[in-house]
Amino acid sequence: MLLSIRDLKVSFRLGERGAVTLVPAVSGVSFDIPEHTTVALVGESGSGKSVTAMSILNLLPDNAQRSGVIEYQGRDLLQAALPELQALRGKEIACVFQDPMTSLNPVFTVGAQMTEPLQRHLNLGRRAALDRVEALLNEVGIPEPKRRLASYPHELSGGQQQRVMIAMALACDPKLLIADEPTTALDVTIQRQILELIARLQERHRMSVLFISHDLGLVGEIADHVVVMRQGVVREQAPVARIFQSPHDAYTKALLACRPSLGYTGARLPVIDDHIEGKVPNRQAKPKDPNAPVVLQVRSLAKSFFLREGLFGKREFKAVRDVNFQLRRGHTLGVVGESGSGKTTMGLTLLRLHEPTAGEVLFDGQNLLTLSDSARQAMRRRIQIVFQNPYASLNPRFTIGQTLNEPMAIHGIGTTQAEREQRARSLLAKVGLDDSAFGKYPHEFSGGQRQRIAIARCLTLEPEVLVLDEAVSALDVSVQAQVLNLLKDLQDDLGLAYVFISHDLAVVRFLSDEVLVMKDGEVVEQADAHQILVAPKQEYTRRLLGAIPRGYQPT
Amino acid sequence: MSAVLPITAAQAPHSEGVWRTAWRRFRNDRVGMVSLAIVAAFLVLIALSATRVVARHWQAEVGVPNAPPTFLGPRPPEDLGTIEAPKGPNVDLSDVDPLAPRYKEWAERAAQMKTAEVQRQETLPFGGDRLGRDVLSKAIKGTEVSVFVGVLASVLATTIGTLLGAAAGFFGRRINDFLEWVYNVFTAVPDILLIFAFAAVFGRGIGTVVLILGLTGWSGVYRQVRAEFIKHRSREYVRAAEAIGASAGSRMFRHILPNVSHVILVRMSLLVVGFIKFEVILSYLGLGVPVDQVSWGTMLAEAQSELILGYWWQLAAATLFMAVFVTAFSLMADAWRDALDPKLRGAE
Amino acid sequence: MWAYLIRRLWQMVPTLIGVVVLVFLLFKFFGADPAVILGGLNATQEQVAAIRTQLGLDRPWWVQLAIYLKEIVTFEWGRSWATNEAVSNLFATRLPATLTVMIPFLILDTLVALPIAMWVAYRRGSFSDRTIMVVTTVALSISFLVYIIIGQYVFGFQLGWFPVQGWSDSTLTNLITFVPLPVLLAVMVGVSPQTRLYRTFFLDELGHDYVRTARAKGMTEGTVLFKHVLRNTMIPIITNIGYALPGIFVGSFLIEVFFSIPGLGREVLLAVNRSDYPVIQATTVYLAMLTMLINLATDLLYKVVDPRVVLK
Repeated sequence: MLLSIRDLKVSFRLGERGAVTLVPAVSGVSFDIPEHTTVALVGESGSGKSVTAMSILNLLPDNAQRSGVIEYQGRDLLQAALPELQALRGKEIACVFQDPMTSLNPVFTVGAQMTEPLQRHLNLGRRAALDRVEALLNEVGIPEPKRRLASYPHELSGGQQQRVMIAMALACDPKLLIADEPTTALDVTIQRQILELIARLQERHRMSVLFISHDLGLVGEIADHVVVMRQGVVREQAPVARIFQSPHDAYTKALLACRPSLGYTGARLPVIDDHIEGKVPNRQAKPKDPNAPVVLQVRSLAKSFFLREGLFGKREFKAVRDVNFQLRRGHTLGVVGESGSGKTTMGLTLLRLHEPTAGEVLFDGQNLLTLSDSARQAMRRRIQIVFQNPYASLNPRFTIGQTLNEPMAIHGIGTTQAEREQRARSLLAKVGLDDSAFGKYPHEFSGGQRQRIAIARCLTLEPEVLVLDEAVSALDVSVQAQVLNLLKDLQDDLGLAYVFISHDLAVVRFLSDEVLVMKDGEVVEQADAHQILVAPKQEYTRRLLGAIPRGYQPT
Repeated sequence: MSAVLPITAAQAPHSEGVWRTAWRRFRNDRVGMVSLAIVAAFLVLIALSATRVVARHWQAEVGVPNAPPTFLGPRPPEDLGTIEAPKGPNVDLSDVDPLAPRYKEWAERAAQMKTAEVQRQETLPFGGDRLGRDVLSKAIKGTEVSVFVGVLASVLATTIGTLLGAAAGFFGRRINDFLEWVYNVFTAVPDILLIFAFAAVFGRGIGTVVLILGLTGWSGVYRQVRAEFIKHRSREYVRAAEAIGASAGSRMFRHILPNVSHVILVRMSLLVVGFIKFEVILSYLGLGVPVDQVSWGTMLAEAQSELILGYWWQLAAATLFMAVFVTAFSLMADAWRDALDPKLRGAE
Repeated sequence: MWAYLIRRLWQMVPTLIGVVVLVFLLFKFFGADPAVILGGLNATQEQVAAIRTQLGLDRPWWVQLAIYLKEIVTFEWGRSWATNEAVSNLFATRLPATLTVMIPFLILDTLVALPIAMWVAYRRGSFSDRTIMVVTTVALSISFLVYIIIGQYVFGFQLGWFPVQGWSDSTLTNLITFVPLPVLLAVMVGVSPQTRLYRTFFLDELGHDYVRTARAKGMTEGTVLFKHVLRNTMIPIITNIGYALPGIFVGSFLIEVFFSIPGLGREVLLAVNRSDYPVIQATTVYLAMLTMLINLATDLLYKVVDPRVVLK
């Protein structure tokens, strides 16, 4: 057994002056990491998985208090003195963190940073260290490693930066690699590459990997053992096959079920709490009317940004090029793409939050983009948007009641204050929130609840089209399921049409009737949702499909 | 249909806005509360002084020149020891003295009039200055003037900086370019020099000092407010407000400003301290308050020459009042900033 | 890089014009009538009118502005109204004195504040941290004037370690005899705000992810602090010093006044008291120019210190 964690408890001291409280993050966690194995630590945000991993080498902030035993090669790391830990860090146990951009020192070159552990732990001279670094960069797949030694971190792409982090961690041939959500901040296609790289390296270097993630499907592909955590405790731990094929714990089962896989055909997703209670979701989908009236028609939509260059010149950056689609009432158009594909810009342009450079957006025959200001105000009622970040889309200083009241007040819906309040409360109920939410502030709600409030805000204007810009991407899997179900309910109830923008093909497929695949501002493929899945025509689409985690595949 | 989600017990039992949460936090901070008490006491003192309840007669010369403080005891009478007074009666000059016949008449007239001969005090609570004025009264009056100038000037500077910063940050492009040019012009000249230039032109006076400090000190606030507005204008909640059709003015002042107000407030409190210190220096140099007013600066100006002679009480009084107030104010502002800080708050 | 330089120099022109116009308008419309000032208290109407014609004040204001601009561009600095000394001569003779005091001050101030700030930021929340924060707060609340008054009295007058005032012609004598006391007092006052500022910079950097990575690699706390954090903190520190640099030319005029050091700051103060407009105007405009050039140099230095910066 390489590393043994027994009854680990971690609490944080919060509050500086005056009142100091102790907030528990991890309450009694025990599991083992054997040699030459990949152990996955899975949980949603707030589960304590990162805190557990960071406790091993005591990389926690100063206000953390730990208790328990972490046994490594006969020593209790929790009791180890700092110099002892420093000798271990980077040499026998190394780390890779989530955001490579901020985890690398911006003012030192790649070469300088990577030679540090080599010079410290292995006492290599500078020349020897640089040679070894070059070899490492080659191993992790960085092209032209010699040139890269003199590069600064910001000159590399996100994927390359993560490779550099991994190479730096491997420098002294560690026995254990702790990878804290190493792929979460990367694009979907890059994620797959890094995942495969880590698996390869684990095999080749015969080391153990502690892989932390929120995505059970992702870890299923590379893990040997899985530990599932929720709210600071371990819910289940078992070999990967058992976790996927016969999970014991209700939470694990729910996690597996809630994620929309590509093949899922039900109308609603199962939700963790429901699943734990044994409720089965409604699997009957309401059929869509293929002849519903067209509410939105987009022709040759384009948006360019102009950047200053040189002494007096301007450079055109084409963010969106030539987008065409038709959206019928009650239907959903899914827009898929990675970061930089222009999908968000396109969504914002539909509402004229960005001014378009060319093209037409026809709403009942009226071109939205050439409307006068007063007509535009009326148009705002008909098309609304829900943003990605639930923590930034509600004004922190407004109560929920004020947030819901404002759009109605601007557009003159409801003649009296009491009437508007009545409408607001009924909308809160419709999105599944308690009436007491009316007088509260956004910070009292979770991410999923805030998204519901954002949806309710849109509904106050009785729109016909709703643009959902990565509306569920920032939410945990179980909460995602709830919000997606809500969206489907609202669509069935109110006949809303959606433009659903996301990077997650599985989620898009669950919700959409037609799918648009975008890359670098252009529409690469456009087809029926079922068609895209079964017979993708373009190479890029196939790559996107391939990048989706498949979960455990028994060989 | 998804289940209705009740608010979990872990969240606050009743809704609190930012200010209530901050106040609750602030109450737990002992240092902050003590500083607040001290500042409040000073404000009461200033109010009393402004309404002429205390320190009304600070200009009256009630003590002997350079009267020592009470706890030191009166100065031993100086041994003048100059010329010895002659002994014996005066020579009778009445035959050559042209005014002699009238003396008797004048003596009678003088006896009828009452003279208000103020008995000059030997010691005063905090001592007396060169002219025998009560240092304690001067200190209190000086507090009123210095703090008043500091606060008013910072309100002026903050208002200017906020309005310009909001416009530049929110609208961008041409308006931003123009305001950046104005900012560059004002900051191209070192602060002191700008103040001197304005002082040379405008002259002395409390109003002028407020104006000068306000017109030269807005650049820091402008920079910060502009940065905040730029940060917030692309935040989703402002985009959402635009999507529902809120006007630009509404977005700037109803949406963004309340989210930025705590930053502005902290900045303003820093300005107060800075401006008080500037005012002191200006008054010291004779460029600040007019001669018939007193401020900590004028007291320090007088104190310098007194110190050489060994009279330290005016220096001590001015320094004490200023140090206590500014320290308390700074600590209070620090505590407010910590109470309002989003990173500790967890509200954003 | 050259494109950037040219564009920056080009952008300085409107700012400079703005400063000139500001100064001109300020003195023209709010200041007293120069002819009256120059004429003195006993001048007759004819004398004042004659002066006015001589100075060109009877011409329309835009003509006067044009003349003023021409003077500036040709570096014709004018003459002091009080002493009739050429302002350019004034600059040349007073500036060295200011710099002799301010440069040692700037160096010492940074060298003293930096280690204190680093130490205090590292031990954030500890007893020493809080003590130093309170001490600096109290120290900041006492006016500079008090420090100088007491300092002069104690060190100069009572103890006699340094001369109370004075200046000589030799730079070396100045540095050894006359500069120490003023610089000492200035550093005592200046170290408090600088320490607090640098502490904030250090705390900011210590919260970044790369610090955790450095620790995760097994680096000692010393290496983390002195190599990783310090190098990153130099960025805001250098920019801070760079932007404070223009201030040293006016110097601490208070120091110059108290210690009778014939520097530029004292000169400006005298000019203010005497309503000597040409001196104040010229100083303002030329210092503005200098400030902009120094800011440009600081921005270029920024590029050297921070590799992420792209100068556009």
